[in-house]
Amino acid sequence: MMERRYNVLTDEWVMVSAFTQQRPTNPTTSCPLCVGGDEFSIPYDLASFDNRFPSMKVDAPEVESDSRLYKRARANGKCEVVVYTVEHNSAMSLMPTYQIEKLIKMWVDRYLELSLQPAIKYIFIFENRGAEVGATLSHPHGQLYAFPFLPKRIDAKMQSLTKYYDENKRCAICDVVENELATNERLIYENEGFIAFVPFYARWPYEVHVYPKRHISSLVEMNNSERSLLSKALKIVTMKYDLLFQQSFPYMMMLFQSPVNDVRYDHAFHFHIEFNPVKRDKNKIKWMASVETGTWAFINPKLPEEAAAELRSVEVVI
Amino acid sequence: MSTYFSRPDREEFGLCSHAMSVSEIIDFDDFSDIEIKKIAGYRKENNYELIIEMERIHLGFKFRGYVKGFTDEIEIFKFKRPDKLLVNNWQSWGPSKVIEKDFRLDFPDDLIQKFGFSVSIMPELYFDNLISDYYIASEHFLVGGLSSKVAHPYFQLDENEVSVKLRYFGIRFEQWQEIEPVVILFDDTDKVLPYYADLVAKENRVALSGKRLVGWSSWYQYFLDFDYEKMCTELENTRRRGYDVFQIDDAWEVDIGDWTPNSKFPSLEEVAAKIKEYGYVPGIWLAPFSVSETSTLFKEHPDWLVRGEDGNPRVAYENWNKRIYALDTTVPQALNWLANLFQNLKKCGFEYFKIDFLFAGAIQGKRLENVTPIQAYIQGITTIKKAVGDSFILGCGAPLLPSIGYVDGMRIGPDTAPYWDVSSSDIGYPNAYYSLRNALTRWFTNGIWWWNDPDCLMLRKSDTQLSDVQRELYTLTSLLLDNMIIQSDNLAYVMDDRLWSIVSEYRKYGRRKVHLSGIMSGQYNITSCGVDGCDSLFITDLEDCVFTYSKDTVDIELIKTVELKDDGRTFNYYNEK
Repeated sequence: MMERRYNVLTDEWVMVSAFTQQRPTNPTTSCPLCVGGDEFSIPYDLASFDNRFPSMKVDAPEVESDSRLYKRARANGKCEVVVYTVEHNSAMSLMPTYQIEKLIKMWVDRYLELSLQPAIKYIFIFENRGAEVGATLSHPHGQLYAFPFLPKRIDAKMQSLTKYYDENKRCAICDVVENELATNERLIYENEGFIAFVPFYARWPYEVHVYPKRHISSLVEMNNSERSLLSKALKIVTMKYDLLFQQSFPYMMMLFQSPVNDVRYDHAFHFHIEFNPVKRDKNKIKWMASVETGTWAFINPKLPEEAAAELRSVEVVI
Repeated sequence: MSTYFSRPDREEFGLCSHAMSVSEIIDFDDFSDIEIKKIAGYRKENNYELIIEMERIHLGFKFRGYVKGFTDEIEIFKFKRPDKLLVNNWQSWGPSKVIEKDFRLDFPDDLIQKFGFSVSIMPELYFDNLISDYYIASEHFLVGGLSSKVAHPYFQLDENEVSVKLRYFGIRFEQWQEIEPVVILFDDTDKVLPYYADLVAKENRVALSGKRLVGWSSWYQYFLDFDYEKMCTELENTRRRGYDVFQIDDAWEVDIGDWTPNSKFPSLEEVAAKIKEYGYVPGIWLAPFSVSETSTLFKEHPDWLVRGEDGNPRVAYENWNKRIYALDTTVPQALNWLANLFQNLKKCGFEYFKIDFLFAGAIQGKRLENVTPIQAYIQGITTIKKAVGDSFILGCGAPLLPSIGYVDGMRIGPDTAPYWDVSSSDIGYPNAYYSLRNALTRWFTNGIWWWNDPDCLMLRKSDTQLSDVQRELYTLTSLLLDNMIIQSDNLAYVMDDRLWSIVSEYRKYGRRKVHLSGIMSGQYNITSCGVDGCDSLFITDLEDCVFTYSKDTVDIELIKTVELKDDGRTFNYYNEK
């Protein structure tokens, strides 16, 4: 069974999938992403493939929805596993920037290919790193969800950014970039194309955002020089994370792009990446508990400016 | 027999002028929200009632409403005319261009009769007024209709004002009828045009197919001098060119309206089968709403034609040295004939339909059912869409807004030509220069309303007056705008192979993300991004083909291979070249 169900209390869609329940908590034998594992019989450099345990499929079953209260819809999206490298013991922080650049190119290809499907409304690229955020495989990989609807938080971002644009005739993130560069209070890294910083509005203790300096609404709009600069920014942020507590740092990395098959937000929506790490100290976790889950209101125990100072002071060389 | 018009007036069409008067003129360069709010409300005119509701939306305002009673046209509001405006013609071939305050329409008298309704759905207004259809934009705002399902949204310009109107062509609504929504969007033209296009697509529930094709067409090489033998020769020459579709154009049929093969072609099954042998989607041209005065259809079914006030069939336009009439798509038998025509073509093996001179389906006149020309057109195009199912429909000579959601591709300019003539009239006549100009000024509809067809590339180096630089600019613009690519050449000729290799390189990967700026200045700057980075084309002088093309430096070349596993899952592998 695979379908979407509408929550009339919150105006949001929930994906219900029996397939994901079959997903193993941890592979018991060999790594499925290594050559010779369950998924790959031949060597590869990078790969993106249909998730064996998807919550959405392009050919998802038709769904009957005849209730005014309990609406259902097809889960006709796509869930892909995005493998960064064949090297099992690597990570974004350990990979050469050249490999990250290749990954960015693969992301762009996936984005463009999936956007050709008229049913797809949003492409969400992400990585869960570490068991603390639910990653079941340690092989360096991320995922990609191509949604047939605009998820709630994405919609909230669109609404907020278009509202700011209407009020100021400016892109809010362009203004944030300008402000962060001017104040230099929260920056942890900057190059010609990108800034990485702990945002003024950080929800997690060591939350880091990566924003392009130029207004673009998706990965696709980056030129090759910017792709190279982004690969450096990603490498440096993840290296700083690993060196902060001298441990493999668990995080959720999320790429936010404007919707596909929809250009209404391109001028107001500024592509960005959020790192949401769950650690608040070397051995302490900030949980997504009742307040955060129930109200979407976060209590950040760490002053963003202090977190930025700590991350800034972590020296990295690439 | 026919009703002709030369500079026709409203009375000739039996229509009366009773647009409601809106006295206040909004100056969009200096206005308050209160002035916008005044547009909303209830109005009662002599023959009809109107309710307009206003909604604030991102970048501006949307007006919805309802009308009841006898309606020829309604005026929603007026605004002060800016000095510079982007205006648009109602159908594929018509100009979309920027005009200044001193612009005057210069339409040759001797072509008025020939062009007929192709110039405007309202020829009685067109020649003595300045008209923009569907949308109009200044440097800082755009006003546009979001749909054309019943009425025709248009703008009537005089020296100082622009009147925003919906034309209903004298129809009575016994019940409240929803009017076509209209938006005002405030921002730079280059930003509001794609935003407007998306609002229109959402209003019309467009679900665009991903089929963005590369193909071959017979027209700009052979015109009417095309036959089966030439088709077979060309098919042989197409090997390794990587086309998706091979389309035979006008030349195959007995007559306009008699859509059976003439003596130059075997059966259509044979034609389609031959094309399929080479691995291409078989494509065919026809003009389904047009009926020639010499056709059997015209002789046998005069009651299937749109009529004038005198009760006789009305001439829609002249072409092929003949008078061409329009199919009345409200006649059930005519609709059945139309459905059968396309079902049979599909049964023969065709899966790509270039349907041309579509404006004929939307001319004013008397029909069996008392509907507006737009409603009649939509009945016709819906019938075609149903008949061909998921096959590709390329619209041409088509009213733009009413076609949204029914066609996969759309010609968005006049016919191209093997010449580049900057001095001829800008009236929709074949000309590579104006064809490319429209590809630029209507760029924003691509991938949103449909796939734009900028018309065929001609890459041959002989039998053409196009220069190397004109060919190059046409090719690069079409590619960077991510448009359909249809070549029309005798492939035995010496080609500009460098340009074809650029085409192949660009079409190796899927969709591109495109932005164009500079519409109002006429210096077009295209940024076009794909897997290999962002390329740009800056056209500083379109007339003289002065441009700079810049290709992004590619340091990493990834080869993608796709594997379909036994369990149905797709694996995409990326390895460095």
